[in-house]
Amino acid sequence: MVVGDVATGTELAIVGAGSGGYVAAIRAGQLGLDVTLIEEDAIGGVCLNYGCIPSKALISATDVAHEAGDAEEMGVYADPEVQMDEMKTWKDGVVDQLTGGVENLCEANGVNVVEGRAEFVDENTLRVAHGGEGQGSESYEFEHAIVATGSRPIEVPGFEFDGETVLSSRDVLDLETIPDSVVVVGAGYIGMELSTVLAKLGTDVQVVEMLDDVLPGYESDLVRPVKRRAADLGIEFSFGEAAAGWAETDDGIVVTTETEEGEESTYEAEKAIVAVGRTPVTDTLNLEAIGLEPNDDGFLETDHEARTDVDHVFAIGDVAGEPMLAHKASAEGAVAAEVIAGEPSALDHQAIPAAVFTDPEIGTVGMTEAEAEDAGFEPAVGKFRFGANGRALTTGHPDGFVRIVADEDSGFVLGAQVVGPDASELIAELGLAVEMGATLEDVARTIHTHPTLSESVMEAAEHALGHAIHTLNR
Amino acid sequence: MPREFKLPDVGEGVAEGEIVSWLVEVGDPVSEDQPVAEVETDKAVVEVPSPVNGTVQELHYEAGTMVEVGEVIVTFALEGEDVAAAPAPTDDSDGKAAEAPADADAAETADAETAVESAPDTGGRTFAPPSVRTLARELDVDIGAVSGTGPSGRVTESDVRAAADGETVGEATEEKPAAEPAAEPGTTAETPPSSEPAADRDRTLAAPATRGVAKDLDVDIDQVPAVERRDGEAFVTADAVREYAEGQQAAQAADVATVAAGETGPREERIPYKGVRKTIGDKMEESKYTAPHVTHHDTVDVTELVAMRERLKPHAEAQDVRLTYMPFVMKAVVAALKEFPELNSSLDEEAGEVVRKHYYNIGVAVATEAGLMVPVVDDVDAKSVLEIAEEVNRLAEEARERTIALEDLQGSTFSITNFGAIGGEYATPIINYPEVGILGLGAIEERPVAEDGDVVARQTLPLSLSIDHRIVDGADAAAFTNDVMGYLETPSLLLLK
Repeated sequence: MVVGDVATGTELAIVGAGSGGYVAAIRAGQLGLDVTLIEEDAIGGVCLNYGCIPSKALISATDVAHEAGDAEEMGVYADPEVQMDEMKTWKDGVVDQLTGGVENLCEANGVNVVEGRAEFVDENTLRVAHGGEGQGSESYEFEHAIVATGSRPIEVPGFEFDGETVLSSRDVLDLETIPDSVVVVGAGYIGMELSTVLAKLGTDVQVVEMLDDVLPGYESDLVRPVKRRAADLGIEFSFGEAAAGWAETDDGIVVTTETEEGEESTYEAEKAIVAVGRTPVTDTLNLEAIGLEPNDDGFLETDHEARTDVDHVFAIGDVAGEPMLAHKASAEGAVAAEVIAGEPSALDHQAIPAAVFTDPEIGTVGMTEAEAEDAGFEPAVGKFRFGANGRALTTGHPDGFVRIVADEDSGFVLGAQVVGPDASELIAELGLAVEMGATLEDVARTIHTHPTLSESVMEAAEHALGHAIHTLNR
Repeated sequence: MPREFKLPDVGEGVAEGEIVSWLVEVGDPVSEDQPVAEVETDKAVVEVPSPVNGTVQELHYEAGTMVEVGEVIVTFALEGEDVAAAPAPTDDSDGKAAEAPADADAAETADAETAVESAPDTGGRTFAPPSVRTLARELDVDIGAVSGTGPSGRVTESDVRAAADGETVGEATEEKPAAEPAAEPGTTAETPPSSEPAADRDRTLAAPATRGVAKDLDVDIDQVPAVERRDGEAFVTADAVREYAEGQQAAQAADVATVAAGETGPREERIPYKGVRKTIGDKMEESKYTAPHVTHHDTVDVTELVAMRERLKPHAEAQDVRLTYMPFVMKAVVAALKEFPELNSSLDEEAGEVVRKHYYNIGVAVATEAGLMVPVVDDVDAKSVLEIAEEVNRLAEEARERTIALEDLQGSTFSITNFGAIGGEYATPIINYPEVGILGLGAIEERPVAEDGDVVARQTLPLSLSIDHRIVDGADAAAFTNDVMGYLETPSLLLLK
């Protein structure tokens, strides 16, 4: 501790006010704890400010424009004009409304929000340095701490983000003009979401991916409709090529890639976007001071209560390991707060759903068929194509399907995969089914509204039971 | 697909046994009836057979551990097998199942059939809704160990509650002193010098190196048993010195262990605070810290009531009813509640309303082995003293036997606790929240009472009325108590009610 530094006492100090940190703070406040929430940058974290929310705002706005201009089949003729700066203003308004809401909720729950970068001084003390030279620092003496510092984009060597020609995902969301062309490095979910948005805005998109397919980690039949749609939108893919370097040209940038065999290719564009993944932020906290060390991937290991190896220090969200998803962070935040408040709480979720906001969307929860087999189940699988669903046909986007994976013997729903319109929403029902221990029968015998996309969930369950109405049974 | 195998009753109602040795290792394939462990009870060493074909996934205890019947000792991974239907209920206390423990075959068959509680075959995963998982955590139940009765073996809320009750009951027998540290095989058995008498000579022959060893090990060489004699003197080798030193250390360790184990029993023990005890605790805490309690004390002369009960007792007995004072007190309380309805109310904090009840359900606190329970007699105002007596007796009995129906423990509007049954005068009863009043009864005894300047012996009953001061004021409490006292002083007044 700095001489003369007087520490402020707090029952719970939370470092990071993202989806994990602010939820933990509010829940802890509800439970009567004295909470200090420390945020270096912007309340709401990456998700609200530079990730989920602004990207989904742009996706929606872009879809409105694109759909309107691409609906001749429905007899609609329009030529929408997109004012990128106005779209950005609207998007920023959405973000402000949400972050403002979070701030109010923190305040209403008695959470003390502090701005600055926190680092551990010893096992019970955090020092918070305020931004800017000479702004000083203050110390907090805590009984419990939650590390919720999240993650930052990974930089490819040689492709340092400059906000002008080499952009991070965050930079893309702040563009005020639509670039004519971009090279996107990385075909993971962030790269694919950004590529789709830009392609719909009329940008020529070239995607360069080191691996041999888009959306690694997702089953190939889920990915196929996304790739097909991307190709329709004019997105070009080069697989098996790693970004090696770039040079400035008169019009922008030329990106050089290299295959494993050493073959080089070059791609010219106005800008390059690097979206190759995210890495946890565990290096700014001086974790050594409390004897904590991140594992080889930079994550802090935690137990079912979100507790680290240091008993009174918890870790949640991206720093606590995969999957790096906001809703996982929130769930962990709530559990950590409850455990600290002495409530019987634990992370015993059966499944964490995930969604990719490509076109069409992908939603997954629980086990795939292969995972169910590996876990020792004999899987019963049911599938229903949106092409046979009335509502999907009326959206004009009947690509994709709902697949449900269950245990043949007991009928318990183990997981589901959806690709198609509104897959991100449809997956919620299936998540509930997994979490409740619902059986195929339960899902099949739940009356679903007609005409909706959700009927496909019911039909997929019926298909697994061998008595689907609107598709041939297996 | 794992199946948990619990230690079966290995013979004549034996409650626990020591796992002498494992006959299999993790990863070993096993077939049904193949012995997996040797278990020693106070009667015999028995081989415990595998109930299934499969692979050993986990051995839950080390050899040498004392394990109670019914504890999971092995987890097997099964070969493709159908989902077990609802697991056969097992009755650990049922000693009839096993015949003579020496008859291994018979015991094995019985074990395989009765003692194996099979979990549903669901890939090691427990299917239960999140609300049930939360409940399991609250009740400190390992949900993975609960067998489900829901559809396809899904674990339900009542399964968890049943498991919690079972564990609470089992707790009492679980408290046992830690097993003696198992003797390290090979050391004490082969070298028992600790029991060998120390030599205690005046003169001992030894090589200088041996003396060095003795010095290093802090051993008095004259105490070391001699291995041979040279020149008529005892001769000691370095090995003998080391052996002796080890023996001394083992003996010291044993002493320490004996002291630690405490011949007089442990200085303290830790008993889990959970189950019914914790439920009662939580309720008490909620009441005490929500409702500001004020307790009003008074003493009533019940000489007349005592006489009346004496007169009525034979009549009640003729109808097979044991007549206590409680029904009279309940009648008196209800008569007074009608005069002071604010005491027959509760506070609906969420709605911000006081709920006045126009029905009179009286809770009667009963001490049971599991803890305090409060059965409820409904509509006391509409029942005769005899009917009330009969109902109180029945409910108290059911509460003690823990067969009482949940609805008989709910819905009271005012409660009475009779701590005087054990003796004593005044106490501070904790309100059966969210009710607003509780009347505590001391012991009816002959006490001195001043009457017209003379001290006379009268039968008196000390009363302690706790009220929720948010709703009821002290003056009301006093007036209510006076009213109750009036009826108890002159019980014939109750005839008018």
